Amino acid sequence: MTDTTTDTTTATTIAATSAADAPLAGADTGARTLADRLAEVWIELEERLEHVPVLRRLADGTVTIDDYQRLLFNLRQQVVDGSPWISRAASNFDIDHFELRSAAIRHAEEEHRDYLMIERDYVAIGGSLDELRGGRKNVGSEALSGYMFTYADRPNPVGLLGAMFIIEGLGAKRAAGWAARFQEVLGLADNQVHFMQYHQEADSEHTGDLEAILTSGIIDDAAADEIVRCAQVVARLYALQLEELDR
Amino acid sequence: MGTTATAYLTGFGRYLPGDPVENDGIAARLGGDDAVTERIRRRILEMNGIRQRHYALDEHGEPTELNEELAVKALRAALDDRGIDAADLRMLACATTMGDALVPGFASMVHGRLGGGPMQLLSASGVCASSLAALDAAAAKIRLGDHPRAAVVGSELASRSLRQLRFDGIRAGMDSHFLRWMLSDGAGAVVLEFQPHPSRPSLRLDWVRHVSLAHEHDVCMRSGMAGAEPSAGATWQDVGIADAEAAGMFVLRQDVSMLDELAEAGLRQFEELVDIGLVDVRHLDHVVCHYSTNAFRDLAFDGLRRRIPTLDTERWFSNLETRGNTGSASIFIALEEAWRTGRFAPGETVLLAVPESGRFSFAFAHLTVVAPPNQQGAPT
Repeated sequence: MTDTTTDTTTATTIAATSAADAPLAGADTGARTLADRLAEVWIELEERLEHVPVLRRLADGTVTIDDYQRLLFNLRQQVVDGSPWISRAASNFDIDHFELRSAAIRHAEEEHRDYLMIERDYVAIGGSLDELRGGRKNVGSEALSGYMFTYADRPNPVGLLGAMFIIEGLGAKRAAGWAARFQEVLGLADNQVHFMQYHQEADSEHTGDLEAILTSGIIDDAAADEIVRCAQVVARLYALQLEELDR
Repeated sequence: MGTTATAYLTGFGRYLPGDPVENDGIAARLGGDDAVTERIRRRILEMNGIRQRHYALDEHGEPTELNEELAVKALRAALDDRGIDAADLRMLACATTMGDALVPGFASMVHGRLGGGPMQLLSASGVCASSLAALDAAAAKIRLGDHPRAAVVGSELASRSLRQLRFDGIRAGMDSHFLRWMLSDGAGAVVLEFQPHPSRPSLRLDWVRHVSLAHEHDVCMRSGMAGAEPSAGATWQDVGIADAEAAGMFVLRQDVSMLDELAEAGLRQFEELVDIGLVDVRHLDHVVCHYSTNAFRDLAFDGLRRRIPTLDTERWFSNLETRGNTGSASIFIALEEAWRTGRFAPGETVLLAVPESGRFSFAFAHLTVVAPPNQQGAPT
């Protein structure tokens, strides 16, 4: 079985990488500070996730197939919005932010079919596609999605890099561990955990892109504040989405 | 690389048409009440040890149901036993020797009658071991995570081939009498899932092994051809139907002289399971064995006991004597009864064994009884 102990080490890994990574640390003092500040947000998120009931049951080995099904159901309702808010953000970057516009367009394209993976997994464990597609967002997903769309409406919504840091970070650092643990506890086939498995690879690429942007010199102090603030809000709302399953 | 799921048997059902028919009720349904036939029948019934069986025929020998109806009734019983609906199934694997019609496939007809939603189908044809071929295919898809739930059914309506109608004017030797007074009708079904039953014990399917030795054996059981060797232009599909019938091609026949060889080959297959470690004789608690006739019961039992000295009749199950030999349905009908009557306890293992005379096929499946998840130490 895949190692599932990465959960506790992720935050320190991120913090250590951020501090020690030469290009990021050496670019300018602002970027270094930004990396440290984002690492703090990440650590806080990790601590919060430890108390999310479904993730606690996952860690304890008491998670049920119904838990996994409900989690996919809830995630799907928000993931369908992922590509639209990134696209909206892309359309609000002016020509002076061409690189960010470019990255957002690319990212939106890569993500816009992701929800189909959740749907396949959901059906593969016995769920009804009609019910899944007829579902609504939970209160956490409503808040998260609403915040993202509102933020994406701003001119040059640079702060959304903070949202990306959180969401892609969860995909890259946590999803595969969750997938492996669900497989271990519930005896699931790879065919039933596509979405979580896939995000380890895909989001690792995205977090690489993100680092490149954060160290490119286009982030000034005000933008850094925005990014950190956005990361804080998204971290809280993402956890809320996981806490408020089916509500 | 690649993690698979596990397949569990979570629901069991059977359907046996009509009332049980005692030995003295056979002739009324299948005919053959002349003195010679009567004598042969009595001898064969003594050999096979079958006391009761079911036919989808009324007391005058007229058919009462279709094979697909038997299959659907067994499936409904299995679904009810599990507490789910046909709409919950994503795959249906059907085993039978002969469906009601030549085309379309048997599983299409069963699905059409059963209802439910869109699903994958498999029609496994052959004879007795097609039951475990169907089980294996469905289990493989469950393990891959392609389907969360599947149903498997074995069903037979052999009686229509055994009626006097098929024997009028035909020179019937032992090769047809043997089966005529042995086979009967019925269906057995199981529900397969990627999770164990939430509140009752389940049977975890550990493996299925299906081996054909047709490369070194001639045909043993046949219908539709004149001899043991088919030849172009001479099967029932090539000659006139009346000619085919006159040649006795529609009669089910078995070369009884090959049956000892079949039993020996089956025991060698079992020995191989032990030799390669698929069966651990110290941890094998139950054997559910399909055999066509009691004449082979002792042979098989003794053969198994050579490797499993502790095997006693308590751990050996067959309901041949009371449910008859229902071909591909037999193993599921036996498993259902063993399960329902509480022979198996959590932690115990079960070996299903199905030799098929057709052209020497042997199928085995290994099961482990598992407690419901909330009794396995993982709180809900």
